[in-house]
Amino acid sequence: MKSVFNQIVENRMLFLLILFLILFVIFSVGVRGFFTFYNLTNMTQYGVELGLLALAEMLVILSGGGGIDLSVGSMLTLVAMVIGVLIGRAGLNPSLSIIIGILAGLGMGCVNGILVSYLRILPLIVTLASLYIYKSLALIVAVDPRFGPNPMPVSNFPENFYFVGQFRVGGIPFQVLFIFLPVILILYFLLEKHAFGRYLYGVGSNEKAALFSGISVTRVRLVVYTLAGLLSALSGWIITSRIASARPDIGLGYEMQAITIAVLGGVNIKGGEGTIGGVVLGVAIITLLYNGMQLAGIHQIWQLGSLGLVLVGSVFLNQLLLARRKF
Amino acid sequence: MNMSRGQFFRKREFTVLGLIVVLAIIFSLTTERFLSVSNLTNLLVQLAGTAISAIGMTMVIITGGIDVSVGSILGMSSVVAGKLLMANFPVVVILGAAIATGLLFGFFNGSLVAYGKIPPIIVTLGMLNIIRSLLFQLLGGRWISGVPPAIRVIGLGKWLGIPISMWIALILILFFTYFLNSRPLGRAIYAVGNNIEAARVSGVNLTRTILFVYALTGMLVGFAGLIYVARTGIVQTNTGTGFELEVIAAVVLGGTSILGGKGTIVGSLLGAFLVGIIKNGMVLLNVPALSEGLVIGALILISVVIDVVRARGERI
Amino acid sequence: METVLEVRGVSKSFGGVQALKGVNFALRSGEVHALVGENGAGKSTLIKIISGALLPDRGEIFYLDQPVTIDSPRKAQEMGISTVYQEPLVYNELSAVENIFLGREIRKPWGSIDWKAQEEKTKALFASLGLPYHFLREPMGELSVGLQQLVLIAKALAYESKVIIFDEPTAILTEHETERLFDIITKLRMRGVGIIYISHRLEEIFRIADRVTVMRDGEVRGVFSIGEVNRDRIVELMAGRLLVEAIERKGKKSDAPLLVVENLSKRGRFSDVSFQVFPGEILGFFGLVGSGRTDIVQTIFGLMRQDSGNIIYQGKTVHFSSPEEAMQSDIAYLPEDRKVQGLFPILGVGYNISITFLKEILGSFGVVREKKERNRGEEYVRRLNIKTPNLKTKVYSLSGGNQQKVVIAKWLGTTPRVLILDEPTRGVDVASKSEIHNLIAHLADEGLGIVMISSELPEILKMSDRIVVMHEGKITGVFDRAEATAEDVIRAATGERLISVER
Repeated sequence: MKSVFNQIVENRMLFLLILFLILFVIFSVGVRGFFTFYNLTNMTQYGVELGLLALAEMLVILSGGGGIDLSVGSMLTLVAMVIGVLIGRAGLNPSLSIIIGILAGLGMGCVNGILVSYLRILPLIVTLASLYIYKSLALIVAVDPRFGPNPMPVSNFPENFYFVGQFRVGGIPFQVLFIFLPVILILYFLLEKHAFGRYLYGVGSNEKAALFSGISVTRVRLVVYTLAGLLSALSGWIITSRIASARPDIGLGYEMQAITIAVLGGVNIKGGEGTIGGVVLGVAIITLLYNGMQLAGIHQIWQLGSLGLVLVGSVFLNQLLLARRKF
Repeated sequence: MNMSRGQFFRKREFTVLGLIVVLAIIFSLTTERFLSVSNLTNLLVQLAGTAISAIGMTMVIITGGIDVSVGSILGMSSVVAGKLLMANFPVVVILGAAIATGLLFGFFNGSLVAYGKIPPIIVTLGMLNIIRSLLFQLLGGRWISGVPPAIRVIGLGKWLGIPISMWIALILILFFTYFLNSRPLGRAIYAVGNNIEAARVSGVNLTRTILFVYALTGMLVGFAGLIYVARTGIVQTNTGTGFELEVIAAVVLGGTSILGGKGTIVGSLLGAFLVGIIKNGMVLLNVPALSEGLVIGALILISVVIDVVRARGERI
Repeated sequence: METVLEVRGVSKSFGGVQALKGVNFALRSGEVHALVGENGAGKSTLIKIISGALLPDRGEIFYLDQPVTIDSPRKAQEMGISTVYQEPLVYNELSAVENIFLGREIRKPWGSIDWKAQEEKTKALFASLGLPYHFLREPMGELSVGLQQLVLIAKALAYESKVIIFDEPTAILTEHETERLFDIITKLRMRGVGIIYISHRLEEIFRIADRVTVMRDGEVRGVFSIGEVNRDRIVELMAGRLLVEAIERKGKKSDAPLLVVENLSKRGRFSDVSFQVFPGEILGFFGLVGSGRTDIVQTIFGLMRQDSGNIIYQGKTVHFSSPEEAMQSDIAYLPEDRKVQGLFPILGVGYNISITFLKEILGSFGVVREKKERNRGEEYVRRLNIKTPNLKTKVYSLSGGNQQKVVIAKWLGTTPRVLILDEPTRGVDVASKSEIHNLIAHLADEGLGIVMISSELPEILKMSDRIVVMHEGKITGVFDRAEATAEDVIRAATGERLISVER
């Protein structure tokens, strides 16, 4: 007979759901201003940007072979700068600029993917290098020759650029309804319903068996790194619109937070294990935690710390479970 | 070292050394200031902390692990050192406290990896965030600045024309190179990274070896934190952010395999030098710091691709 | 000569299968004692027990006349029992010298490793064996397997081993390296080292062994001085009174070949291999590990590329550059290593079955039609009698036999014309094994061309319509089922060229 505790430990989703509910109840009861329609809808917007990056990390980590993407923060920054410069300095049509920016993200992810899958360089090294390269490119793009050699933020956007980051529909932020939710649904479809998901889990959980089953390991890896670029690009676009500014240091440190959330959401760092639902719950928990702590007057600095504690704690629990699993 | 003749020239260290020499020649021909005493001193002073931390990181990576928390540990030990400095504690106490701070977190990392069997990337990723929060808390959102001059001799003082911090780095590098090459525990580090099963059969104490490398890394980074305070005289909330990537880049450039089992401290020192010289030269050339990352990233990729090509040539 | 190691009444079983039944074995110092037997005879279990990798269920081990418990490889090594495995456990990036001394370094008074002394000692060891030692500083990974073996022998001597076990040492050596090894073994014997020598090559045994122990079905069937036994007698004991009844077959073999392999060669793997597969027949491939049998079928399946020769499939010359292409032409390959190559252990049974034929059950936009997937999955679970709670059950939690059935189901799902089975019943319980055998026969009756690789002689004799025997990359025998005898097949597999039926 399994005890309730065992059930919770062994079912990651259940564990995260309970963690979420506990936090929700604690904040609702103990923190003034938390359980209001405005707060509950408003806080969702902060989960979007980090959430998209966490989903990107989920995809690459799932693909196994040491899969990880350290460059998501840099890709986000470069896309933000490209969009910012095209609109704010070159005066290009915003829609066109956004499309170019997103294509740029796609391209950056694709370069990572080619290096990982075709040249067979380890993901940690590839993305460490591209972290530096994309970050540097963002700085270069940010230079406005009219104002000397230093990188400058761009802040003069037309009003209609703000809709994605600042508008609301029925009180719910636009980017949650029209970007984050669709992305989640599409990824859910891809991972759970589509053949691609089957191939991805196969490649991640046993690369050799995948090869022997006629799956193209290289193609699958190329696709996930490219998707990671795309998701980072979306995140860069939204963040620029929300804060009404494209800054060359905007994505600093995001990669670590994104990886943390993906792992917290139950993605096995060795690949092949993890669900979109888990990662979304991970994002929800972190968003809730950040918001609740902020309202409770706990200094913002503890956001990162709580993130780290939750990560190490939850993986430690997982480890206990793994120790029991026999192969 | 236990190496046959001719092997040296096939090593990554040689490639990196060559690159350093070429860059040094280019920079000294194209800029006036590169070879000036003040510039070279500056270069060495900035390198010392990275080089010292890279000693530990090299060992961690040789065992097949990684430590991304070193940036936060550096920040934390600078805060501790900075606070004690402001309270006018004696230098010995401060030195001890900085190192102990690093040791504490390194030991914690190592325990979770060795006994908790949690993947190193996760342990240190978590600790990166936790330590950063603790650091914020300790600093209370303020800066530490105006550190008393007594300590700054470690950061800025010189002996025989070479900064004291670099002397310390060199001594540590010599010692730990000896340690890695000639002490059984040093060789056990390689054994663990090469073939953990064989290491077990050879009687290597796996948990002790793993715990040791993380704890040592913590200590060395703790010391680097002190050097940081001594050099800059300032501690901020974001001190050390991104430092982990710089150290890892130096180690990887220096030829240590991220898969473990292979690498040298001297290689990492050269890797750190390469990064340092690029940064320095680009500033002098008035190529603003912007494209620095471009060059570092490209170098990491090129050096790894060279290895891949070479491996194909040598073995089937 | 005194007895250095003695094993008395040792038994060992794995999950109900009795691998060793009351085995007695004695090794004298200064003798080369060969250990022979077919796969599954219990040799490797016995060796694992002696070298500390396994503990016996019953029985005693005496070392230098003392009863001992050898509970780890490390302990065995410390005691003076060393094993030179076919694929040695080495530190690739470390030098040869260091591979010898790691963990028990020679140290200077202040604790540093005395590299010079270690190297001198190694040189002395190599010199005493009359061997070159110019490679001692090279990283182990850059040495040939033959040189790595020498290093491990030196390591055994450095531990002052009184017993050295060689586990099929010549399987991957060149002729020259083999000669050198025999030379060393002779020298070791003269030093009084007791040597256990496992090999499938009987001619080697007659060259270097003093005594030979023959095992079959977990028991010792005979111990002989080499002078009082001949090759035929050993083969006879290895094969036993092997009365294998051929499995019942209904279908008829067709006359037009489905797959023709012509003079296929790949350097260092196999050379000049030709055979044909007909629809409705089971072609058995027998040979030792390393004889090239797996390399050949992997070449057919697009996992490797031949240097020369042709593969003709349904009348056309084909080159498959990936498994994907081979699968599109209805060729299926069940690989030999279930856990590593065949299964996705942490994923569900249903997933594992459908992954190979996913393309057939896709709806619009590449959506997997789950109902269809479930139906097909359930169909195979029923047909193959896979015991699993449901399709979502993770495969690692199933028994070996059921896991293997999942792999078979996965390949049946592709509705192949040619089904290549590489060790289809390795590590499978008796009941599942016979179910799998019946299934294979049934599939052949339905008209599939089946290639079945096996290292188990009874399985080969029971299942095959024709038997191809390989030895060191070459075909050494082709037999029709009616005329194949166990002895002939073993002879061919140990290197005698006996092509009785050419087709």
